[in-house]
Amino acid sequence: MDNRHSPRTRKLTVVAQDPSVRKADGSILTACVSVPYEDMGEGPTGYRVQVVDFDASSNSLMKPWTPRDDGADPFGPTAAGKTVTDAEILGDPKFHQQNVYAIVMRTLARFELALGRRVSWSFGGHQLKVAPHAFTDANAFYSKEDEGLFFGYFATPDAKGKAKTIFSCLSHDVVAHETSHALLDGLRERYTDPSSPDQAAFHEGFSDIVALLSVFSIKEVIEQLVHRDQGNKKRVAGDWLTAKGIAEGPLFALAKEMGQEMAQVRGEALRHSTELQPRKGILREAEFMEPHRRGEVLVAAVLGALTTIWADRISGLAKDADGTLDVARVVDEGRVIADRLLTMCIRALDYCPPVHLTFADYLSALLTADREVNPDDERFHLRDHIRSSFGSFGIAPASKYGGAEAGVWGEPVKEDHGDIIYDRTHFEPMQRDRDEVFRFIWENRKALRLRVGAFTRVQSVRPCVRIGEDGFTLRETVAEYVQILRLDPDELAELGYTDPGEKVLPRDREVFMYGGGVLIFDEYGRLKFHVHNRLNNTTRQSERLKYLGSIGYYENLRPKRKSPAKLSPFGLLHLTRALNGTRARAGCECHPGLEHHTHDLDDDGTE
Amino acid sequence: MEPNKATIRSYQVGFGDCFLLTFHYPKAVNGSTERHVLIDCGSTAPPRTFKGKSFSLAPVAEHIKQTTGGKLHAVVATHRHKDHISGFATAANGKGAGDILRTLKPDLVLQPWTEDPKLPTDATKPKAGNRGSARFALGLQGMHQFSASLLGELKALEKTLSPAVIGQLSFLGEDNIANPSAVKNLMTMGKKNEYLHYGMKSGLEKLLPGVKVHVLGPPTIEQNDEIKTQTSKDPDEFWHMRGLTASAFGPGGTSPFAAKHKASGTLPPEVRWFVPRIQASRGAQLLELVRILDNQMNNTSLILLFEYGGKRLLFPGDAQLENWNHALKDAKEAKANMKLLAGTDLYKVGHHGSLNATPRTLWALFNKKKKGNRKAQLQTLLSTRPGKHGSTASRTEVPRKTLLNELETKSQLLNTDALKNGTECHVVEL
Repeated sequence: MDNRHSPRTRKLTVVAQDPSVRKADGSILTACVSVPYEDMGEGPTGYRVQVVDFDASSNSLMKPWTPRDDGADPFGPTAAGKTVTDAEILGDPKFHQQNVYAIVMRTLARFELALGRRVSWSFGGHQLKVAPHAFTDANAFYSKEDEGLFFGYFATPDAKGKAKTIFSCLSHDVVAHETSHALLDGLRERYTDPSSPDQAAFHEGFSDIVALLSVFSIKEVIEQLVHRDQGNKKRVAGDWLTAKGIAEGPLFALAKEMGQEMAQVRGEALRHSTELQPRKGILREAEFMEPHRRGEVLVAAVLGALTTIWADRISGLAKDADGTLDVARVVDEGRVIADRLLTMCIRALDYCPPVHLTFADYLSALLTADREVNPDDERFHLRDHIRSSFGSFGIAPASKYGGAEAGVWGEPVKEDHGDIIYDRTHFEPMQRDRDEVFRFIWENRKALRLRVGAFTRVQSVRPCVRIGEDGFTLRETVAEYVQILRLDPDELAELGYTDPGEKVLPRDREVFMYGGGVLIFDEYGRLKFHVHNRLNNTTRQSERLKYLGSIGYYENLRPKRKSPAKLSPFGLLHLTRALNGTRARAGCECHPGLEHHTHDLDDDGTE
Repeated sequence: MEPNKATIRSYQVGFGDCFLLTFHYPKAVNGSTERHVLIDCGSTAPPRTFKGKSFSLAPVAEHIKQTTGGKLHAVVATHRHKDHISGFATAANGKGAGDILRTLKPDLVLQPWTEDPKLPTDATKPKAGNRGSARFALGLQGMHQFSASLLGELKALEKTLSPAVIGQLSFLGEDNIANPSAVKNLMTMGKKNEYLHYGMKSGLEKLLPGVKVHVLGPPTIEQNDEIKTQTSKDPDEFWHMRGLTASAFGPGGTSPFAAKHKASGTLPPEVRWFVPRIQASRGAQLLELVRILDNQMNNTSLILLFEYGGKRLLFPGDAQLENWNHALKDAKEAKANMKLLAGTDLYKVGHHGSLNATPRTLWALFNKKKKGNRKAQLQTLLSTRPGKHGSTASRTEVPRKTLLNELETKSQLLNTDALKNGTECHVVEL
């Protein structure tokens, strides 16, 4: 059979936001979303997702979603125009299975589109496992160790005080949020390390941005928000569609809807974000040192840009004599802007340092990511709006690079640091081979100002192709490395770091210092950017030590432990051979008769 | 008149608490030279030396009856955990420990304010403006519902989770389920009931002449927000929702879907990798929830300090740091409280020797510990049974090794776990 013309995407029905968001007739608002086309298996199971509908609380496995012979959406509108009913949405687990599959795949596809390459899950495997009804509890989370997403269901009192079942897997933003955690963790695994208030807040804030902008890009949702309670479905009064009007109107309403049923699961972060009044000192306020609250500031900064750009564009639309606007145009502008912003927010990750991220770094990354692909920002003035919205919350770009594009990352290597040496590495393997990139780093360790003697490792090398607005492609290779130092507290001062003191850093603890950077190579293989937080930056590293001390990190850390004696299977094999096999025991699969041998003694000396 | 001596009996109840405090007077007051106060009577696990099939507290109750000559002047139930109140439960045949204790007709029963039956428990949701205590009662109800459904759910998880995890879950779950019989008995056995909070008069003034009783905890929600804030912004709402969920789907687990949607037969191979992980994750989540719940309930403990003839006896139930913080830090009398506590002569070790229940600040205050060549004057009483609560790996085992070491070296420790089979209790005279 000729497969050359098989479809690239398919449409699947999902709940537009969550079951509390209703159409005018009172039924649940649904949407048809596009996901990459694949030969879906039961579950659904696909090349990146496996839905396993097992409920640990009731100890039961649900029958799996099955594909239709014609490949069509089993819950899509029928030829007769019949659409999925509320009873099916709430009572058929197969619909829930489809809902999580579609939103996870849609979020993944969104990341791949923005980054211009395949994006891996954090755990290294290919398929993310998803349990849409894992247990009875108001909770939903991503677990790297289990390679999966867990969604709970729970009861909440309805208007009459009776118990009503809420499924977290039917909340679009909850599914997108958890999926974003899994993707972000794959792209920047060190962002879950304790480092700074900003880094602690980033995972939540970023995942909320993706969730909110994903939902915002669904036409059905925006349409409903724009012409709410108005008779004429095609026209909307234009006078309230200012930045303030949008923030207090549709955006606030959306955030409120997102919080409604899920407050027990995820708090009301999005709603708080829309309510935050910009002020420059906000990140220094005690309340906003708490990670979740701080994350809301990041969300608010992105939303601020969204509303001002949208209002700008709306003000340019033609109004009728009665001052009304075409709803379809207003909605379309909003979706396009949300989509551009989402691309920018995701793409920026490639331009972020792999360790110790601050909001200031992220802002420079946002500006750089967009400038690289869309040098001409005339249409939306996206970067100007981002700069000013972040600025209103006191976030200035980390890069002091000036000029018309203030705040983008500057030259990778300053003149007085020496020339970059290219001739000991090869262009082709530099795009995919970690060892080749490590050689590049080794040869250039002085120019890149790396710490000699620290454990150094290239974590990833990723070739990307990004499409600009002008239709041209931008090829880049993104390589990420980390450096780690293990120190005793007393060594800190010797190396120029500020020792936070014995009170918060007991002397029997071990201190791990992290540094690292991202190397971005252009299409000729030349180093274009070096975005880093170096081990040698004693000011920044000392700030981290101080922060960890202040949150009691070292006090709660176990004292430094001595290593257990460990012998590799080969070490044992060689011993065994020398002793004619007398020590051989039942063993591992790869070396029969051999087991990995560890002597781990407990505190009291027993093994 | 002041008592010239006190006798404290620390009963062997396995994992639990049961103390009989007797004050001796030089001359008879109202016809008797003794006054008896029972502080807690409960158990969740038999002593290590126990060989029989089912452990009963009836013999302990009988011993108390003999010792007191059939009359208790007061009963203190520090909080509603099973290991503190199960001995107050009555039996259908009328021969339970609670039936025996009931015949001792206490004049006064003391409990924390959280046990006040006047707190409304039948509301379906917290009402706006319905502050503090009422919301707490609703949360409490949710906690019990959650614990009950947790025990039902364990049957399904038994096949996957390790016996150690199942053991922990059922131990904590059982300790936290409602014990209506004991609660009812405590409510009705005495002539009078008092529900106390930090700073209140104990009501023991007339019953125990010459003894001053300080109520150092628990604070009310209005007095101290911290007791609420250890889990989430509103733990009462948190537990109310969990209770609602538990009663909607548990115990034993009811699927939210119709039976026709359920797959039958053994698990197909393609889900066998992930299903045990869902179960393990559920187990860990339940353990986390039940631990939070257990701590929160411990923090409702009544903390009493008895003062007579220059001696001070401290009975803090299972109070943990958050409960203690009010008396030691936030209350305006904090300084005076610390001074008072510094001179403690006898300390009933909090929460069977868990680390959280003997805050470092409190232990550091006691000035009658061993110091240099001076012998320890501080008497400590520990009622516990190792191997039931917490784990060594997570450094949460009860009793905690490091604390036990401190108690042994710096105080005169009497541990019920060391009692020989056949010996009912340790006896201390002060």
